[in-house]
Amino acid sequence: MSSQGNNRVLARTKTEIALYAAVCLAILLVPMFLQDAFLLNKYARYLVFGMLAVSLSLSWGYGGILNLGQAMTFGIGSYCMAMMLKLKTVPVHTGADGLPDFMVWNNVTELPWFWTPFYSPLFGVLAGILLPAGVAALLGWFVFKGRVTGVYAAIITLAAMVVVQLVIIDQQAYTGGFNGITDLGQFDIAGITFDAYGSSSYYLVAICLTITLFLALAITRSKAGLIVQAIRDEEDRVRFFGYDVALYKIFIFSISAAIAGLAGMLYTIVMEFASPTFLGVPLSLSVVIWVAVGGRQSLLGAMLGALIVTGVQGALSESETFLDTWTLIMGLLFVLVVLFLPQGIAGAFASLARRFERQRPAPVPKPVQHTEPMPNGRQIESTR
Amino acid sequence: MEIFVSQIMTGLSIGSILLLVALGLAIIYGVTGVINLAHGEFVMLGAYAAWFLQTQFGLGLLASLVPIFLLLALFGWLIEALVIRHLYDRPLDTILATWGIGVMAQQAIRLTAGGELRYVQMPESLSQSVNILGATDSAYRLFILFLSLGLFALTWGIYRYTSFGLKLRAITQNRAVASSFGINAGRIYRSTFAYGAGMAGLAGALVSPLKSVSPEMGTTYVVDAFMVVVLGGTQSLMGTLASSGILGELSGYLAFYSNDTIAKALVLLAIVVLIRFRPQGLFTARLRA
Amino acid sequence: MSTENQLVVENASVSFSGFRAVSDLCLKVRAGELRCLIGPNGAGKTTALDLICGKTRLSGGEIVFKGKPIHRLSEHAIARAGIGRKFQVPSVFRALSVRDNLHIGHSKQPGVLANLATFGQGGDTEDIERLAELVGLEDELDTPAAHLSHGQTQWLEIALILAQDPSLILMDEPTAGMTAQETKKTAQLFNRLGGRHTLIVVEHDMGFVRDIAQTISVMHQGKLLAEGSITDIEGNQAVRDAYLGSGGIGHA
Repeated sequence: MSSQGNNRVLARTKTEIALYAAVCLAILLVPMFLQDAFLLNKYARYLVFGMLAVSLSLSWGYGGILNLGQAMTFGIGSYCMAMMLKLKTVPVHTGADGLPDFMVWNNVTELPWFWTPFYSPLFGVLAGILLPAGVAALLGWFVFKGRVTGVYAAIITLAAMVVVQLVIIDQQAYTGGFNGITDLGQFDIAGITFDAYGSSSYYLVAICLTITLFLALAITRSKAGLIVQAIRDEEDRVRFFGYDVALYKIFIFSISAAIAGLAGMLYTIVMEFASPTFLGVPLSLSVVIWVAVGGRQSLLGAMLGALIVTGVQGALSESETFLDTWTLIMGLLFVLVVLFLPQGIAGAFASLARRFERQRPAPVPKPVQHTEPMPNGRQIESTR
Repeated sequence: MEIFVSQIMTGLSIGSILLLVALGLAIIYGVTGVINLAHGEFVMLGAYAAWFLQTQFGLGLLASLVPIFLLLALFGWLIEALVIRHLYDRPLDTILATWGIGVMAQQAIRLTAGGELRYVQMPESLSQSVNILGATDSAYRLFILFLSLGLFALTWGIYRYTSFGLKLRAITQNRAVASSFGINAGRIYRSTFAYGAGMAGLAGALVSPLKSVSPEMGTTYVVDAFMVVVLGGTQSLMGTLASSGILGELSGYLAFYSNDTIAKALVLLAIVVLIRFRPQGLFTARLRA
Repeated sequence: MSTENQLVVENASVSFSGFRAVSDLCLKVRAGELRCLIGPNGAGKTTALDLICGKTRLSGGEIVFKGKPIHRLSEHAIARAGIGRKFQVPSVFRALSVRDNLHIGHSKQPGVLANLATFGQGGDTEDIERLAELVGLEDELDTPAAHLSHGQTQWLEIALILAQDPSLILMDEPTAGMTAQETKKTAQLFNRLGGRHTLIVVEHDMGFVRDIAQTISVMHQGKLLAEGSITDIEGNQAVRDAYLGSGGIGHA
């Protein structure tokens, strides 16, 4: 029976991989049927949001860490990319000083030290992933080593994000302040230039999303991923098996941040600017909504949640009143999902599938034999 | 001397507004354990109610205070009955649900009253200024100061000396035991939520003549109020009073010596550090670990 | 079996806001021994286990395990030193299958990176299935733990601890909620574990204690009241007095 059980697990994993691959393939095929540059750019943006949703699903759905400031690391990644792309324009756009335009307007005379490494594209790209991960690791160390959990941890993530946003807005001379960093050069790598409105950028985003999705899937299916989920359910139990709980939390929190950072970089490429709104409360709230609607404990569900919600929102955005009404409906939908569908759409599908599976006769009918009937075998209510 | 007094008065004024806003949040959190992220929107709704009553019915601010309290209390009662009630065993989800409610409230106001700034007239009788030890202060700000202290005293009295307050304290100590003695925890929670929402509405109405009224005004208030609650300790009304005073003076001082953005960032950093090291608040003794 | 003391608790004390839950507790347990810890309600038995596994910190005294003081180590470090803990309210991962539960219990490699590279059951499959069989859960391997009965949940947690394979196992009321039949089976299991593992078992069920115990330690008001064989304890006047308020030793 043991190999049979194992086979069943294996079969389920295979189905899952096939499902993920099919969705990614569909995403990669879109440009073949779509020539409209504006639509491609719009869809690329949605995919970036999908990636952001995957990152939150990792920390919230799997790790139980509700990050209300997921946009913080997204924004840091986006600024890294913007700084790098801004410096590409420097000799062209500004005078002898070789400074970004907004620095000239703010009477900065010399390129600040933390800008200079961004002349190197490699540094820029690495920083866009490693800096968010590092910031998250630091914050995670501060929070999780101190055993701050649940609601309090969530509030800290929110506060930390707003602090970073305020600092960026305040330090106008070095960050562009409210206006953000605009007027960027185009990202290029290995001779390919990524025009925001070309199919190349779309492919870049789609491929990064595919890689991210499978990487995240691998993490959640590894033993480390299992331990992270166990910590979500019973933190103390895990601790007394000898696992360093804080370390595992820091790990999943940082991985999530790295993915958010990558998404932020891609967002700058397709939007052609970086703005303090990228690390704002509204975007963070949106990510939470996407993931809640799609299903926090399903990477694919979270991603599709982002695509569906932003897609509908984009379709309605033609009209201002509609968009306002949409936000109202979003709020309502969110409350309803939290109330009645805590596992989101993916969770609803999963329980449907399970019901379907149970209705079919089992391949090897085997009487369930308890060693003994349980007179006081009170079923433990499943936590939702 | 003048500058010193006026500095203190500014701090007290900020502190009294903080107290008004935080009181409702503190009660709700202390009793039900729900962090109400829609609290700022309750404040905003109170401000809009004041604006609406004034422009549509010509009702003065002071006359509209009681109706606004009742209106928001009803709103809070409904929110508890429809949403919060189902989420007491899922604390993280209450944050999400109240956040969603906040978004809806903001958007509903934007759609009906418009996104532009609105202004509420100060009561005629309180629009002059008063001289205190050489410094001048507006009578209205003094009025808010005394009213907020009065409301605090009222709340404290209810908590301390009424049978409702006794039940409240019992439930806060141990809900299961209190319920087994026949205390209807559900009803107490709902009343608490309604009272907290009503207080938020009052706060909104009272600050409306001082600040411009907009759909987004709630966000800053919820952060400040949360800071007060965290600093004061979640189980202590006196802590709320003390921390309102401290934070009021502190932000008055910070705003005087540095710019607003950095002051805000510092306040948030303080929240983070405080939660990390003293999640039970500054004024609460540590009980059994 | 070694006659050396594996665990030495020396003058352990702890208090919660003035109330001394455990005071000057001394306890010596030999390697491979099966020790029962009994006492009336509020005697500090669970707190004593909490102190040993690091869940509660000592305010005085020391705890030495295999010759090294452990009371300043973090919980996971104590667990890695070889101490396993079963909780009074069974604590398992309800969202995960029995198989995944056991996989996590198998914690010889606690590091993040090593576990990031481990997929499926790794090399633990046989071990996991042997343990599932040992506690009668071999047909429930793919069942989410949330769907198990109370007794099964107790056994799952016991299996998790056996997967961890610590040299010292602390069991807090392992038979709570079990039927007489299940309790008997648990006693047999514990008797088999003795020798390979050291066990400290907190129990109320005196029948169960009779079935398994070699030595019994009785706690009362945070202190060690008596220690000895089952007949010693049953004849001990101080123990009888201590239990008087709670209806006799058998029903405590």
